[in-house]
Amino acid sequence: METTKPKKKIDLRRTAIVALVIYIILLIGPIAGLDFPAIYAAVKANPLQLVQFLIIGIANGAIIAIIALGYTMVYGIIELINFAHGDVYMIGVFTSLTVLSLTGTLDSKDPGKIIFGLILALIIAIVVCAALNAAIERLAYRRLRNAPRLAPLISAIGMSFIIENIGLMWAAQAWLVPSFGTTGGASQKVFPDMLGALFKATGFNGGDVNMLASTGWALRLTIKDILVIVLASVLMIGLRLFVQRTRLGKAMRATAQNRDAAKMLGIDIDWVITATFLIGGGLAGAAGLMGGLYNNTAWWFMGFRAGLESFTAAVLGGIGNISGAMLGGFLIGLLRSFSDGYLSTRWTNAWVFATLVLILLLRPTGLLGEQTGQKA
Amino acid sequence: MRNIKSGITFGIIGGLITFLFGGWSVAVMGLFMGIGLGLLLSGRLERTYKPIESSSSLFAKIIFTITTMFNSGKRALPTALTAGGVLVVFSLIQNFVIQPALGKFVENIDFVLVTNIVALFITIIFTTLTASLRGLSEKQESAARLILLAFVVVAFPFIDKFTELRWTAQIIFALIFVILGLGLNIVVGYAGLLDLGYAAFFAIGAYTTGILSSPVHNIELNFWLVIWIAAAMAAIWGLLLGAPTLPLRGDYLAIVTLGFGEIVPVLFRNLIDVTIKEPLTCWILPLFRIQTTCITFVSHEDLTFGEKGISPIGRPSLPFIGEFESSNPITWYFLIIAIILLSIFLINRMRESRLGRAWMAIREDELAAGQMGINPVQTKLLAFAMGATFSGFAGAFYAAYIRGIFPSVFEFSASIIILSCVILGGLGNVNGVIVGGLVLMTADRLFLPALKDFLSALLTNTILPSISNPVVQSAVKDNANPILYRFLLFGLTLVIMMAVRPEGLLPSAQIRQELHSAEELAAEAEASSKSGKKR
Repeated sequence: METTKPKKKIDLRRTAIVALVIYIILLIGPIAGLDFPAIYAAVKANPLQLVQFLIIGIANGAIIAIIALGYTMVYGIIELINFAHGDVYMIGVFTSLTVLSLTGTLDSKDPGKIIFGLILALIIAIVVCAALNAAIERLAYRRLRNAPRLAPLISAIGMSFIIENIGLMWAAQAWLVPSFGTTGGASQKVFPDMLGALFKATGFNGGDVNMLASTGWALRLTIKDILVIVLASVLMIGLRLFVQRTRLGKAMRATAQNRDAAKMLGIDIDWVITATFLIGGGLAGAAGLMGGLYNNTAWWFMGFRAGLESFTAAVLGGIGNISGAMLGGFLIGLLRSFSDGYLSTRWTNAWVFATLVLILLLRPTGLLGEQTGQKA
Repeated sequence: MRNIKSGITFGIIGGLITFLFGGWSVAVMGLFMGIGLGLLLSGRLERTYKPIESSSSLFAKIIFTITTMFNSGKRALPTALTAGGVLVVFSLIQNFVIQPALGKFVENIDFVLVTNIVALFITIIFTTLTASLRGLSEKQESAARLILLAFVVVAFPFIDKFTELRWTAQIIFALIFVILGLGLNIVVGYAGLLDLGYAAFFAIGAYTTGILSSPVHNIELNFWLVIWIAAAMAAIWGLLLGAPTLPLRGDYLAIVTLGFGEIVPVLFRNLIDVTIKEPLTCWILPLFRIQTTCITFVSHEDLTFGEKGISPIGRPSLPFIGEFESSNPITWYFLIIAIILLSIFLINRMRESRLGRAWMAIREDELAAGQMGINPVQTKLLAFAMGATFSGFAGAFYAAYIRGIFPSVFEFSASIIILSCVILGGLGNVNGVIVGGLVLMTADRLFLPALKDFLSALLTNTILPSISNPVVQSAVKDNANPILYRFLLFGLTLVIMMAVRPEGLLPSAQIRQELHSAEELAAEAEASSKSGKKR
């Protein structure tokens, strides 16, 4: 009797606090679009839209997941938030746009040429971003490996600014990045919808980009969605196999577990770290082409947003965990699309950042991460 | 030899700056470079001061002091002459080589001669004068230095007005960032908590001022009241946003503050149609078929005016001076100098207090500090709150000075710019932060625009006509705009400082030791192994 009484009191207090928090969320939430009656009404009015947002969310989530892999691999190995990673993705977008432009793919009507241009753009974007990411590691992080924890993070932020400036200059070069009008801000460039052009050129599906047009549903499942999801899945499975099966993958896992022990066993730590950055950068480059084709914009500041979203995804899944990054990427993509659809487009960024803050505060190890104690 | 080298360096820096501005700038640079060089030299010179017998007469004391000062100053003379000479040579190059290349030919040769002769004398006088303070006793020397600095600070806007350089308005921006840097220094430098969302508090201070003193909301409070409300508001939000981050350390803490720093501008951008309805009466009870009347607290209120921003905003006014005008930057300059002096005073007091020492203990080792009886929760929260207070001041001043506030000012880049100032100057050192903020922000606000004008004049008059290829010509013309490279400036500052001198230009002794402890240990180990071999 004596032991249960105080316990019950605490429970009551907790319940009261939880109720108060829920009440405050219900009270203030509608300002940021979290208005349950309105959401219910929107879903009821058009249930098919839910599927539509699901498709958009998964496709965007695939891109976010690919970027998040780069964050999570680097963090797993040297415990550094590679802040410049999102900007490497932005460079990937600009590289592929430039390759498409210089090869004359942008205004081509020949399907063979478009496919060739896209594959070339993919390869070059991967190579450029991999090299850039490895160069960043060499220039900004390597000498700080034994410095206090915050020094490489500050250096990474500096690198991010430098690359953003490079992107800004790149966007200003009219001969590299052709202008098709601007979307939104003055420095935002249009990334032409090459896949739609490819569709029209081949005449497949009656030249209609919407694969579900013949069903008569009010749904759009375009070639873009399919390509992004397929390509992302291939990359993720490939990376998983690489890390699990190959010798270098094994060396990476060993280095992530214990750097000093790995060194003693004869693993070339510098090479393993460089390889990690190369792979992460390459993935960001591939994501750059996919993101450009899917969202049809190229903007020098897009790397910051994309970087924070994918970092959130990596943390949500459990940083250092490759499957976690994929799961987190899809979840963040869904959060984005549902927030855009049902809450409010203007507040989506706030919701994403709020998610980031909440995960770090409530479960810093993420959904699939192991308990690492005070590591964070 | 080392001194002569420093003299040449200072002369070249000053000279390059005169390239950009021309006119009287050479004399103003002579003043700044002279004092900077003098301070540097006086650190290297031996103290010539000898205590005087107290029985000697006042006259003898004065003569004696003047002699020792003269002796000190004499030793700085060669350096002073070098610096002044280099400066004037650069200035003459500016007048007779650079200006014609910019399409401006020398019309008034007397003016050129006068400015250069004045610059030479000013450089020599101020270098030797500052160095000669070394002839005083330690106490007198620091007092004399303060007087000299106070003279420069007070005289600057008037010199600026006389020489028609129009630097004061830009210097005020740099000084706003100095206050922000001082506040961030408490959080990052003293307490060791990397805050990447510091601009959020700047925004809160500015928007508090905007909402409370703008006629658009019909609450026109007096600026002198609002600045304190803004500081208090920022401090409260510092507590609120700091509280959840307490269990986190290192980079996770940095990312959470970054998240808050991103949410706050989104908030201010979007609080344009605020409706608050009581949820119980409006939809939860009706779900259970209970009839209620919906209570609405706020209906469609436009609080921040989104991208349009809040404008105009009330300005401070004082008896005798009247309302502060934007056409006269001198009053604003002295206002911000007053705020900075107050901030420095408060921060120095705080650092020496029990609280300040607790911050540093937490920074060194949180666990050990906790064991010594420091309450880490309270200490960290106070660091966030105190740091935010100063950005509240800065925000209030900024809002009143600009007369309008827009959400785009307070985004992530602002936080990083403030961080760059602190890192450049030196974490944990008030003087360092002031120097870092001044150097970086004058570079951003004063030199980059001047360099832009300089380059565009140079291009149109000299370089472009000599390029025949039209593609190259247009490419050069489009990209020669230094303002486009300002992110590069801040990014490079961070990367280079972290790689070369992570403790900053003027480091605090403690932090320098901490950052180099690993190297020193290695050096010691090496030395001991060598001595072991000898044996």
